[in-house]
Amino acid sequence: MRLRRLAGGIVCAVAATMLGSCVHDNRTVLTVYSPHGIDLLKYYETEFEKAYPTIDVQWVDMGSQEVLDRIRGEAVNPQADVWFGAPSESFERAAKENLLQPYRPTWAADVPAEAHDAHDLWYGTYLTPEVIAYNGDAIPRDSAPQDWDDVLDPKWRGKVIIRDPIASGTMRAIFGAIIAKSVTETGSPQRGYDWLRRLDANTKEYVLNPTILYQKLKSREGLITLWDMPDVATMRDRVGIPIDYVIPRSGTPLLVDAIAIVRGTKHPREAKLYYEFVTSQHAQLEAARQFLRIPARTDIPTDSLPAWIQTAMKQIKPMPVDGALLAQHLNEWMRYWDAHIRKRG
Amino acid sequence: MTVPVWFGGRSRAERMATLAALPLLLILVWTVIYPNVAVIMGSVGHWREFAESPSDVEALKNSIIIAVASVAASLAIGVPLAFLLTRFDFPGRTVLRAAALLPAALPPLVGVISFLFLYGDTGVITRVVQIALRLKDVPWHLNGIGAIIFIHAYTMYVYVYLFVSAGLERYEASLDEAAIGLGAGTLRRLTRVTLPLLTPAIAGSALLVFMSALGSFSAPYVFGGGVRVLSTQILNSKLNDAIGLAYVETTVLAISAVAGLLLFRWLEGKRAYVAAGKGGASRQPVRSRWARIGLATSAALIVLVLVLPHLMIVLVSFAKDGAWTTQVLPPEYTTHNYAGLFTENQLWTPIRNSIVMSLLATAGNVVFCVAGAYLIVTRKFSGRRLLEALVALPWAIPGTAIALGLLATFNKNDLSTGKVLLVGTFWILPLAYFVRDIPLVSQAVEGSLKQMDPSLEPAARGLGASWWMAVRRVVLPAARPGIVAGALLACVTAVGEFVASIVLYTHGNRPISIEILAQLRSYAFGTASAYSALLIGLVLIMALAARFAESRMQ
Repeated sequence: MRLRRLAGGIVCAVAATMLGSCVHDNRTVLTVYSPHGIDLLKYYETEFEKAYPTIDVQWVDMGSQEVLDRIRGEAVNPQADVWFGAPSESFERAAKENLLQPYRPTWAADVPAEAHDAHDLWYGTYLTPEVIAYNGDAIPRDSAPQDWDDVLDPKWRGKVIIRDPIASGTMRAIFGAIIAKSVTETGSPQRGYDWLRRLDANTKEYVLNPTILYQKLKSREGLITLWDMPDVATMRDRVGIPIDYVIPRSGTPLLVDAIAIVRGTKHPREAKLYYEFVTSQHAQLEAARQFLRIPARTDIPTDSLPAWIQTAMKQIKPMPVDGALLAQHLNEWMRYWDAHIRKRG
Repeated sequence: MTVPVWFGGRSRAERMATLAALPLLLILVWTVIYPNVAVIMGSVGHWREFAESPSDVEALKNSIIIAVASVAASLAIGVPLAFLLTRFDFPGRTVLRAAALLPAALPPLVGVISFLFLYGDTGVITRVVQIALRLKDVPWHLNGIGAIIFIHAYTMYVYVYLFVSAGLERYEASLDEAAIGLGAGTLRRLTRVTLPLLTPAIAGSALLVFMSALGSFSAPYVFGGGVRVLSTQILNSKLNDAIGLAYVETTVLAISAVAGLLLFRWLEGKRAYVAAGKGGASRQPVRSRWARIGLATSAALIVLVLVLPHLMIVLVSFAKDGAWTTQVLPPEYTTHNYAGLFTENQLWTPIRNSIVMSLLATAGNVVFCVAGAYLIVTRKFSGRRLLEALVALPWAIPGTAIALGLLATFNKNDLSTGKVLLVGTFWILPLAYFVRDIPLVSQAVEGSLKQMDPSLEPAARGLGASWWMAVRRVVLPAARPGIVAGALLACVTAVGEFVASIVLYTHGNRPISIEILAQLRSYAFGTASAYSALLIGLVLIMALAARFAESRMQ
């Protein structure tokens, strides 16, 4: 009857592991899906839990498209309470699919009209300019590409590394802006596709996640990428990776990073508390100071913002992007890109 | 009372067996057939899209190229190694024999990561070679199809090695002697006697490698770079909200796997030689001094290559996160990475999840597969062939395809269509692990039961034992070695499972493999490695426990 003893052992092991961790605490678990990265998320977790000791914030860091895919997949049985961060295009998509729960934050009047949903399904948190990033040790500032078209120069062939745009909200937004511009100006996406085709010809690799992207830029496997300004600046200032950025001269998509409550959340009260907490004036200022984010709220006095934001805002020429067009066609464009452009150069 | 012949056949015993097999068949239809049907149904209307997408066609091509090349590479390593270790005696043989199995203790994602640390652009070996040869640039890039095949060769040759060694152990030495007596030279003996006799072992293991490589996900996912393969393409399409296309890709992947299975079976059938040998081929000591030195040196080198990935994981698990940038080896060490796992609740959760879920799935597998194997081996009834086929089926379906099937089936509560909501709950992963491991456990238990004298159970019954008594005292003891081996294999694969997990996990049940990926994303290589080392440790503990249980039984 050793078999029985073995079975007994297994049962005990299961019970022990399950119990072993049931002893922790009985705080309410609030689950946050976010692509904002470990530093920012940990900071808000600590601060929020200090303010609300009965709530245990658990965040899951993943690409914004992955967040959308998860929330869509879990719609019948929602696992997340708050979706914190992703370009507004992704939230638009989620709103269309009825995945978000309306909430009107206390500061609803203090965001620009284009930075929130008409039915309160999502609100803007940060303004995120897209930039051209490069390894600053390998390329002197003057010879770095100064504008989008410069990245297509044959001299950068095999030197460009791009985060896989299928999973990345940031990259989808950049590609989307380029194609949308082509549609608005010429009536067809063709010019945009051609541009992306030339970018593909210069692209050495599409990488799985931002970490690999930074690592490859650092080790000079590639020298140039397109990415968002706060993340590049964070890597440079906090992690010490020698990457620098150029704000494209002709204009750049200024994404609205947003926040929303997931439809069907089991903790609506806690979700609202967190929502308000991370978007308070104080939290937005801290995000600007520590994590190089540009607050979307308009009621924060400009002179209290860090100097770099004030200079950057003067340099940034927002590229007009037709949001409705994007929301309608982005998936289709990305599918075309994936099937016909990626790795064809 | 007459019962139709289609239901259960002629005798009462046969009808009883069919009746007993029914619940098993139902579970299999529900968790294996139905999900695949759902995927195929979901793919309808999207096939044109697939055929017209150059990237999908390319993905199919790449998947097949990678699978075939992985088979070739694994055979090239596994067969000679098996010959060397079973036929010759030389210094270092025992060490090499133990080390040859090491890659099996490396869960899929962990293997990939360790290769990144070792052979990636900033990897240790890469840098050592670069410095030693004073190269300006890195000597190689670990990406593309070549890199994927390289990793596959390392992790998958073990199948070939194990199968061929087992074949050689059972090999009837007298056949060789007869061939020599008849005047056959070494080469002729090899091609006309030895290799034909090893065909089942070679074909069986080649098939195993083919299937694993075709469905392989972690290597192309982590550093395939621009290489598209079907398994990653499925995830891509799903992310892009093109679930219909994902279903087509899933179907194509499953069809390729089944086609491969049939092809290998056909090849195997063409050259079936039966030689139930008693074994007894003895190892020849290598006598020449130079050959001994050469063999010992190569053995040492091979052992080093085999053990490096494990060592690297352990080393990085002690490295301070963020400190390792351009140095060859991590400059600062700490035990902090491990301390975190056991003290921080959020970091401990994935470990608990993986252990609990793999044990649950394995327990399910044991109960289910013992019942199935018992019926298949000891009973004759209509439906037996069907049960046999269904039990083996999940083996031919790649993990991503199984996951997509479950996703399409268990996504809502709807009794009229037999759907139950498990997606987004804890139970979806144990179910996925259970389905994936049915063939493993079944095969192991069937193997043991087939060795039992078929007259034993009837004899016990004839002597007055009740059915339960006979099962408990005769059948289960005979099945034990298979149960232990099968349960071990199931537990090991489930605890490190990654492919199905990445499609189905939720935050609440995230397993270790998913947490490793999350840690990598946030640059915490040390923590990711600590998890990986822990996973390797778990696998080794399970292997030792099974060894111990086996030895106690004999």
